[in-house]
Amino acid sequence: MNYPAWDVPVIGSGLVIAAIAIFHVMISHFAVGGGLFLPMAERYALKSGRRDWLEFLPRYSKFFLILTGVFGAVSGVGIWFSIGLASPEGTSSLIHNFVFGWAIEWVFFLVELTTAAVYYYTWGRIPDKLHLQVGWLYAGASFATLVIINGILTFMLTPGQSWLDVAGTGEEPTRFFAAFFNPTYFPSLALRTLSCIALAGVWALVVGSRIDAQQHPQLKTDWIRWTTWWLVPGFVLMPLCLFWYIKMVPGSQLELIQLGISTIGTGTFTQVTRTLLVSVMASATILAVVYLAAYRKPVDFQIGYALAILLLGVAATGSAEMSRELLRKPYVVVDYMYSNGVRQVATGTQEPRQELERFNTAGYLADTIWATPDEKSLWTEGPRTAPPDSASPAENAVLAQGELMFRGQCLACHTRDGYRGMQRLLHERNEQAIRNILTMLHTPQEDSPYRAFMPPLAGTGLEIDALCAYLDQLAHPPVAPAD
Amino acid sequence: MTRSSSPAVERSWRSRLWDFCDERLGLAELLELSRHKMVPQHAHSFWYYLGGISLFFFAIQVLTGMLLLVYFQPGPSAYESVRRITYDIDFGWLIRSAHSWSANLMVLALLAHMFSVALMKAYRKPREFGWWTGLGLLGLTMTFGFSGYLLPMDELAFFATKVGLEIPASVPLVGPLLAGLIRGGPNVDANTIQRFFTLHVVVLPVLFVLGLTLHLYLVQRHGNAVPPGEEAKPDSTRRYIKFFPDFFVKDLAMWLIALNLLGLLVCLFPWQLGTQADPAAAAPDGVHPEWYFMAPFQLLKVLGSWLPGAVGELAGMLIFAVGGIVWGILPLIDRSSDHPRAARFGTWFTWGTIAFVAGLTAWGYLAL
Repeated sequence: MNYPAWDVPVIGSGLVIAAIAIFHVMISHFAVGGGLFLPMAERYALKSGRRDWLEFLPRYSKFFLILTGVFGAVSGVGIWFSIGLASPEGTSSLIHNFVFGWAIEWVFFLVELTTAAVYYYTWGRIPDKLHLQVGWLYAGASFATLVIINGILTFMLTPGQSWLDVAGTGEEPTRFFAAFFNPTYFPSLALRTLSCIALAGVWALVVGSRIDAQQHPQLKTDWIRWTTWWLVPGFVLMPLCLFWYIKMVPGSQLELIQLGISTIGTGTFTQVTRTLLVSVMASATILAVVYLAAYRKPVDFQIGYALAILLLGVAATGSAEMSRELLRKPYVVVDYMYSNGVRQVATGTQEPRQELERFNTAGYLADTIWATPDEKSLWTEGPRTAPPDSASPAENAVLAQGELMFRGQCLACHTRDGYRGMQRLLHERNEQAIRNILTMLHTPQEDSPYRAFMPPLAGTGLEIDALCAYLDQLAHPPVAPAD
Repeated sequence: MTRSSSPAVERSWRSRLWDFCDERLGLAELLELSRHKMVPQHAHSFWYYLGGISLFFFAIQVLTGMLLLVYFQPGPSAYESVRRITYDIDFGWLIRSAHSWSANLMVLALLAHMFSVALMKAYRKPREFGWWTGLGLLGLTMTFGFSGYLLPMDELAFFATKVGLEIPASVPLVGPLLAGLIRGGPNVDANTIQRFFTLHVVVLPVLFVLGLTLHLYLVQRHGNAVPPGEEAKPDSTRRYIKFFPDFFVKDLAMWLIALNLLGLLVCLFPWQLGTQADPAAAAPDGVHPEWYFMAPFQLLKVLGSWLPGAVGELAGMLIFAVGGIVWGILPLIDRSSDHPRAARFGTWFTWGTIAFVAGLTAWGYLAL
């Protein structure tokens, strides 16, 4: 049962998660790529005897420590907080399946934080070789966190048939490794690793742009050129890895991309294609911008260009993450749980049957904790219609029931009057048209285009009537009588 | 073939190709010319890129406009053809959105270019004709926008064009005649689309390319102006970079960044198509012209409601006419740093114009 608790006005909970997640990815990928960058830069400086690099690197590692240790860690907690509120059922399922994986990740995360601090505070205080070894240890620990979280993220898109065969039976942990090393695990790991390396280069360019070219022309030139090369592997290999990744995505999910090629529809249904286009374009042009603005004449490379390159990195990474999320529509976990928290497969071992079927017969709100017994008794008073002016307690109860349905099954993706707002989507439809849509969502036909991106609507006939009444009132608010 | 002989063969092949082209096109002269062209470097150098960015968006306009021409049908079937482009044809929405967004970005870049030129006093002798051709190009671009806005013939385009034509119609004496000439009759209909289409794809491009050629020639002839603060510095402390290749490659980087900005807007906010225009229907609430016509629209609206009869519209036209004339002859008023009062007037008039136009535009949107 979903807990319809988090009601974010105007922007919706999904966009809050997206904003936190994109911010976090920009930093956490930097933490992984930068983890490799730092010891490699130090190794280069030691081998070639570059004192100017060795004097600059502690400043860089301070920036690295603050950005990743503070903002990365805080935004990581923010993701947990927001997904737990927006999709409690989905988060609960992930924890139950991967609790051991997460425990391992936190061990590596602790090692990562500790070594990052040790690395910064021991510059010039311990032997060079030992300091470099601390750097390599950090690089290994941070990469290990990616290796683990990647398994959980990719599971949501491609849980794999082996895990789906036992989903809902309580036997899921026996298929831990099958779920973890799912079909998109390795192409995703390759893509994320390349992204981490590229972002290490981008952030190093931002820091490098602040080097005073008048005082340190050689340092600035060499630093900028050396960091530019960190974008090359991603530029060369990402198209191949993206092709590999897409080959592993189920055909049913790829239909969404095709839809967005031929039309924009009302805009909402084709977001995956459009965000994918942004990602491809930004990824394809960022290296050219870096070459033209930075590599050719590093001493002229200023913070303005560096921030523009960073924003291109945000566009490429953020839109790629959005595409990955949108590709899962209409699921939280493909073929297992819909975005409204309703499971597609059997639940429990005592009476295995579809959760959807149970909600349709016993009622979606039957177990809700958000209504008193008195309110629930009002819901069962027989057929009702939408009230013209919300007069009687029974009619108000219908609207309250409809609002609970809205919170439980619509609010994960829609808002009332903002992003994907119901007022905008429904204001040109009368009550019968709204009812037709709800009926279509309740019992979707095989050829219905809505099947590709919207979950089936769960609930009894009375609950759907109540939702209809609530949406109708939302789309056509009663006009106050003129004085 | 030995390893050492291969570069020699390649050099010789390249050299022969270069000679072939150079003898016929005079490439060496062009390269020499571009190498001698220098661009000043100072705290305000960023503003030099805006002309190039405007040109880049114009190139996008030409490219996407040609692609739209493959499917667009002017006249009675205009709406249906745009509906197909937007909802049926693969990537049609992308091309249409790129065309619409780049038009808006081009106007924005041109306005920023014009105001930055004014604040850097780049209209002073000997660059007066550069200023005038620039103003002409901005006028043509806004006419491009106005004529293109109607072509989809959806409800918003139709009524916004009707509203927009109230501006020329309010010109004293010749206004109604002028508006009728633009419309091709008493009403906005298929005849108007045909006229706007001809204007949009034939007349304006020809005029724009001629104006652009002259403008670029003048920029090449006089070079980049430096702001007065920089001008006051001794020559030995000023910095320059070569136009080719140093400034040019930075220009390319800017174009790529501009392309990404355009792509972001196109993909995240694709241009929608409203319902088909019904001339018999009442105008929907809040109809207004494009944002770059909002300032005159709001002024006419406000003065029309404050002053009786046609006096309000007349006053509005007068304010814009006088302001426009002063804006145009600014190079003749503020001619050099030797006239501090005129220089101060130029600066304050520019800031006043920015505040006036931005304020009216914001007011217009808030009043919708």
